[in-house]
Formats: sequence, structure tokens, C-alpha cells
Amino acid sequence: MNAINRYKEVSGTTDKADHLWRYTPWKKVHPTGDIKIVPEIDKEVKLRLINLDETDLAEGISLQKENVLEEKLEDIDPVATSFMKAVSEKSRWVLRTKRKFTSEVPLLLEIEANSGFNSLELVLDIGEMSEFEIVTLIKGESDWTGFLRTGRIGDGSNINDITVCLQKKGVLLRLDSIALGRDANMNTGTVSSGSERTKADLRYRMAENGSHLQVLGSILSRDNMYLDYHIEIKHDAPETFSRLDWHAACGGKSRTIGTGMLKVAKGSTGTDAAQNFHNLLLSKDAEADGIPELEVSESNVVGCGHGIANGPIDENQLFYLQSRGFSESDAKSALIAAFLNSTLVKMGSTGLHGWLSKLLTSELDIMNK
Amino acid sequence: MKTSQEARDAVGDYKSGWHDTENSTIRFDSGLSEKVVRDISKIKNEPEWMTEVRVKAYRHFAERKMPTWGNMSMLEQIDFEEVCYYLRSSSATENDWDEVPEEIRNTFERLGIPEAEQKWLSGVTAQYESEAVYHSIREDLVAQGVIFLDMDSGLREYPEIVKKWFCSVVPYSDNKFSALNTAVWSGGSFIYVPKGVHVEMPVQAYFRINAKNMGQFERTLIIADEGSSIHYVEGCTAPTYSTDSLHSAVVELVALPGSHIRYSTVQNWSANVYNLVTKRGIAHENAKIEWVDGNIGSKLTMKYPSVILKGEGSHAEVISVAYSGSGQHQDAGAKIHHLASNTTSKILSKSISKDGGRGSYRGMVTVSPKANNCKLNVVCDALILDDESRSDTYPTMEVANPTARCEHEASVSKVSDDQLFYLMSRGHTEEEALALIVNGFFEPFTRELPMEYAVELNKLMALEMEGSIG
Repeated sequence: MNAINRYKEVSGTTDKADHLWRYTPWKKVHPTGDIKIVPEIDKEVKLRLINLDETDLAEGISLQKENVLEEKLEDIDPVATSFMKAVSEKSRWVLRTKRKFTSEVPLLLEIEANSGFNSLELVLDIGEMSEFEIVTLIKGESDWTGFLRTGRIGDGSNINDITVCLQKKGVLLRLDSIALGRDANMNTGTVSSGSERTKADLRYRMAENGSHLQVLGSILSRDNMYLDYHIEIKHDAPETFSRLDWHAACGGKSRTIGTGMLKVAKGSTGTDAAQNFHNLLLSKDAEADGIPELEVSESNVVGCGHGIANGPIDENQLFYLQSRGFSESDAKSALIAAFLNSTLVKMGSTGLHGWLSKLLTSELDIMNK
Repeated sequence: MKTSQEARDAVGDYKSGWHDTENSTIRFDSGLSEKVVRDISKIKNEPEWMTEVRVKAYRHFAERKMPTWGNMSMLEQIDFEEVCYYLRSSSATENDWDEVPEEIRNTFERLGIPEAEQKWLSGVTAQYESEAVYHSIREDLVAQGVIFLDMDSGLREYPEIVKKWFCSVVPYSDNKFSALNTAVWSGGSFIYVPKGVHVEMPVQAYFRINAKNMGQFERTLIIADEGSSIHYVEGCTAPTYSTDSLHSAVVELVALPGSHIRYSTVQNWSANVYNLVTKRGIAHENAKIEWVDGNIGSKLTMKYPSVILKGEGSHAEVISVAYSGSGQHQDAGAKIHHLASNTTSKILSKSISKDGGRGSYRGMVTVSPKANNCKLNVVCDALILDDESRSDTYPTMEVANPTARCEHEASVSKVSDDQLFYLMSRGHTEEEALALIVNGFFEPFTRELPMEYAVELNKLMALEMEGSIG
């Protein structure tokens, strides 16, 4: 069965009772609103892989268009995934690293989509014991952008992976389905202050012993933005570790949604897992919703937990900064920046953090205007 | 006692809808139809408006699909056509214990109900199958204007109050099982506490399903008028059969300004009972509603006690524990909706899963845009005692007001080896040590129960923990 037929078979099966679709139904994400249609891509997405400091790439990494074999993806939503597979047939890329690939300089993968309807599938094929940092920057002014990322992080690899979403308008559908190999260590962060509507379904599977995952979010929503993130982490092997730390600041008439699912399969002894969602509400018309879920089928765990906290800017902190000479708006800005920086700071090395903070500061400036 | 012929006369030409059994005066045949609903209303001699509500609810139930969340595979096993929707084992509700039929009296005496009434309670209702069989209330409370009746008597004697509040908190269209209950409800409690009256000792209702394939659908309505307070306690049991029974109750609480209602439940249904209950209260200005909810038995429990904080300064608390043993799924939780400013709420949920049982916390808290300065706190703790069991947490938090302070935390863990080792070093066997740790885990719940219920719960948990080791 080809991808289009597979999508058509499942297109009407989303259910509001499934928390993935509770707040944002599929038809609100679909490019036309008519879920039966599989539209044609308008124009190919521009893709560029460079070093963040624009020096030459190190040996052992490649980005190329390839015909990807149809593999069966585990634990991923069939509707959005089959749709993305169907619309990305002409735009499939593979990011591959050789065994022991190392880059001292952070990499930048730019994805620019400027026409009406764009879609891209990227397969990560990260060789064993690779070590590098990569920023994926999604930008442009397209009406609809789809980004499906699948793949595996090789055994013993150590990577920092940050996705920055800064589209000026339109809808972003972002799907991740990534498995971590034995003793692999992945830090994966999202910095988002773009698109009018984002629907993200990010799934990570601790597929082998000793894998270690940290998922981080620094989300700044403003104006009428609507940002819906679903993050699912599955522990499928013993002695695995995961943390989710998600910070969203929500201003204007925007709405942020964070739904998390932490699954611990039977036999995943020694699992240590936790999820935390923090929402800062900045205006009376903003809304923040969260559903952190746990499904634990193994008793011999180090611990599994989750937490969610929503609140306004702390008045004592605001008062303190004003007493030190900050104006009210500067004090608020500083506190929002500090709130978002508490996850941003864990996303990469010092150099990369400087680059990310500069970017976040400029987004905060836009909000304050 | 009604004869078979009298019962036939009461339901008119409904010839095959019921039959005598050894212990019942009226038993409807299994299966549900609009006619069964009308017959239940007719046999109870209800006013026209109640019949119409029942029929509308039945139609809604027939049209409404089963939930597409929760334990759908267990829900799909319910065969609504196999359930008996009305069974009367006693011809009247007695207020003298000696007048209750002997076999029913023996059942409740074994459960300790009359003894508890003498020692601890302000009033008691005992429900056997579909109808209340015994009812009493202390005379001093009657003198103060407190009404404590079974729901059928409440409808007969105070139709205006019932009409005003019935379905006002839980509309029949709320969910499939509230529609079912509204269509076929029978028994339950009706309580009205007048302004400023404080009922110092708890009142109790005890629900017993005794027959096979029985459906129990009690309906409880409690109205606490301004500045009053009451503590209502309910207990539930059923024998074990190889076929399943259905318990689908609806409880509506109305806490008027400044009042306080505490509703405590210790549910110990047998492992063949589907326990699908809708419990909800509305708290007006400065009122307080507390649900204290213990779930030990049943095959599948789906129960999420809710509070709508409608009045400024109102407060809600839900404390619940759940024990899931072999083949059981306790899907319990809480819902709190902050609609007014300066409202506060607290949810504490604890669950234990053992022998392949599954415990789920499913909760929802919302803060509406106009509700300023709300505070809410949710804590869920779960213990998994073996490799076969499972624990889930599904909390939802929707906050649309920037002044709200909301917190939720949950943890799933195993019994601490250090705690076990310490208790064993003090001379306890491993089994005793485990039982002590489990009782300690449930302690925030048991301390909120009346003494005799707390003792009973601890004994029940000790029984459940027997054979846990080795």
C-alpha cells in the first residue's frame, strides 16, 4: 500500500479522547481543513547544513536526498505520520554521520519554507559514538510547513539537538520519532516563538539499555499564537533515564498546550523518569493547558514522576527588581527571560547558549513592542 | 408484602417483565427498554414530570455511545440486556429494625450497621437491591428540620424541593451512565439541612447488591442550606458471583452559601461489579465540599468526584485512595472547576496496584477567565507492589486566568527497601512490614474517616495484603 492510500485509510480515526488530539483536532492542522485531501507540495523546502560559525563542516557528516525505505514506525500517531509520509515523497533527506563523527563547532541545519505549502521528511542516521551539537532552524513565511523527523541515535553517541521554530506565519506540523541506542545520550530542546499555529508530536524511545534523554522546551507565545506540543517518552529497556523540563511563557491572546506521556514498559527495570511543565501566564487573555500523563507497568523503578505548575510572574521578584532600579516592563522582561533561560541554559554548550539567548532576547523585544 | 398479582397489577400489561424469586417481591426481567423505564416509574407511583425525565434520559442513554477513553475493553463487556434494572426485596422502607425482613436484617447485622447506628451515627439508610429497606434518623435532628429520607420517600413527601434540584448538578445528558441512572434510578438518599443547622454526627447509607446480574442505580441528593453542615458516609458491598453486576449511581450535592458538606465513601464491591458512578457538587459563596473516597473492590471503577466552585471564596477537597488487585482496574480521580474568584481546592490521590491490578488517576482542574486569585494543588502518589501491576496518571489542567496558582505533582514508586528493612529489623515479618507501610501510605485518607470506617479499612487492607510475600 502506498503512503497516500495508507493515509486515506486512517484519516478519520482521530479521537478527542486521545490527548494528542484533545485540544487541536486534525482538521485544524491539515493544510486545507478537508482531511480527505492529500495536497501537492508547492515548492521544495530550502535546506542547508553549515557550521554555526560558517567554517567548513568536519569530515564524516552528510545531508542528502535519498529514497528512504518504508520502515514501520513504532508508537507514533498513524494519521499525522501517514499524511506526512504521503506529502513528503519528493522531499526526503537523510542526515548521516559516520561512526565516531565529532564536531567541535555546533552545526546549523536551516530549513526555509517561503511558498504556500511545504513538507519535508528528515531521517537521522547517527553513527555509533558520534558527538556533536546541531541546531535545526525552521523559518520562512509559508502558509503550511510539515516537518517529519525519524531515525536512531547510534550506540554511545552524545548529541545536543535543538530545534528553533521561528516562522513568521502559518501552520507548523512537526513530528519526531526517534529511538536512542545503547548508552546513547541525547539532549533535545525546542525554542519556539513562531508560526500562528503549531502542532507538534515529539516521541522518543529509550530502545536500549543505558540510554539517557533530556527533553527541554523554551516556548514564548504572543499575539494570537496557538502552540500545541505533545511529548511522548517511552522507556523500553532497563536502566534508562529521562527528564522533560518544559517552560512556556504565554502572553497576548495566545494559548500554549503541553501534553506529555511517559510510558514505562514492563521489564524496564531501573527506570528513572520525570516530566515537569511550567507555564507563566502573562496576560488576562492568555491560556495555558497541560496534561502530563504517566503509564507505568514496571514496579522495580528508581522513580517515575511528573509535575505541572501554572502561575503569574512572582510579585516579590517583580518588586525586588523594581527596588533595584528596573522599570516595571524591564523587570517583567528580565523575569520572563530568566524563566525561559532556565531550560535554555541546559540545551547546549556555552557558545551555543549565547547564540540561543541572543535569539530569544530579540523575540522578547518583539513581544515588548 | 406485595403478592405477585399485586405487582403485576401495578405494572399493568407488562406481563413478562418480572418474576418472583425466593427472596424478592418484584423482579423485572433483564433488559432495558422505554417500557421498563415507565414501569419503574409507575410501580413507584411517581409524578408525571419524573416519568418524563426518566424517559428523556433513557432516550439519551440509548443514543449515546460508550466512552472512547478509559478501559474500553472492560466497558465493552457490559451487556446492558443482561442486567436486571429493578428488584424489590422488601415491600416497604421500615424505620424499626425488627420490621425488616429477617434475611435482609441478618445481612446488614453481619455488616455491623445497627451497631454502628447506635454508637456513631445520626441516621441510617440501608438499601438492598433497588429499594431502601430501613431508614432512621435521630429525633432531635427531625425537630431541627433536618430531612433525611430515602430518595423515593423524598420525592413523595417533598416533590417541590426534589423537582427544583434533581438533575441540576448532574444533568442526565452529562454522560452515558448518568443518563442510565436518571432513567432507572431507585433508592438513594435525600437530605436537606436547614439554615444554620450543624449535624454533628455523620449520617450513613449502606448499599448492598445481593442478586446476580443486578443493577443498582441509587440517586442521592444532598442540599445544605446557608451556614449548615453535614457529614454523609456511604458503604457498599456485594457478594461474588461468576456473572457481573452493575452499580451506576448519581450523587448531587448542593452547598449553599457558607455551608459544609463532607461525603465519605468506602466502596468494597466484589470483583464482579462494574462501579460507574457520577458524583458532583456545587459550592456557592464560602461553601466547602469535601469528597473522601475509598475504592477497594469492584472489577472496574470509573469515578471522578467533582466540585464546581461557583461562589466566591468556596473551597473543595478530594482525598481518595484506590487499591487494585487481580483483574481490577480502579480508574478514579477528581474534577474541580474554579468558576469564581478566591476559590481554593486540593486533591490528594493515593493508589496501590498488586497482583496484576491497574490503578489510574484521571483528573481535571480548570480555572475560568473570570476567576481571579484561585489556588489549587494536586498530589498523586502510587505504589506498585509487583511486576504484573500497572499505575497510570492522567491529569488535565486548563488555566485561563493569569492570577491563578496551580500545582500538580505525581510519583510512582515501589515500596522502599529501607522502610521494609527497618521494620523487619524491629521484629516484624516481611508481610507485616508491608501491611504497615501500606496502611501508612493510606493514612492521610483513613484519618479523615469516622473511626469505625478507618478501622474497617485497615482490616480490609490487611486482608488484601495477606499472601503478598513469597
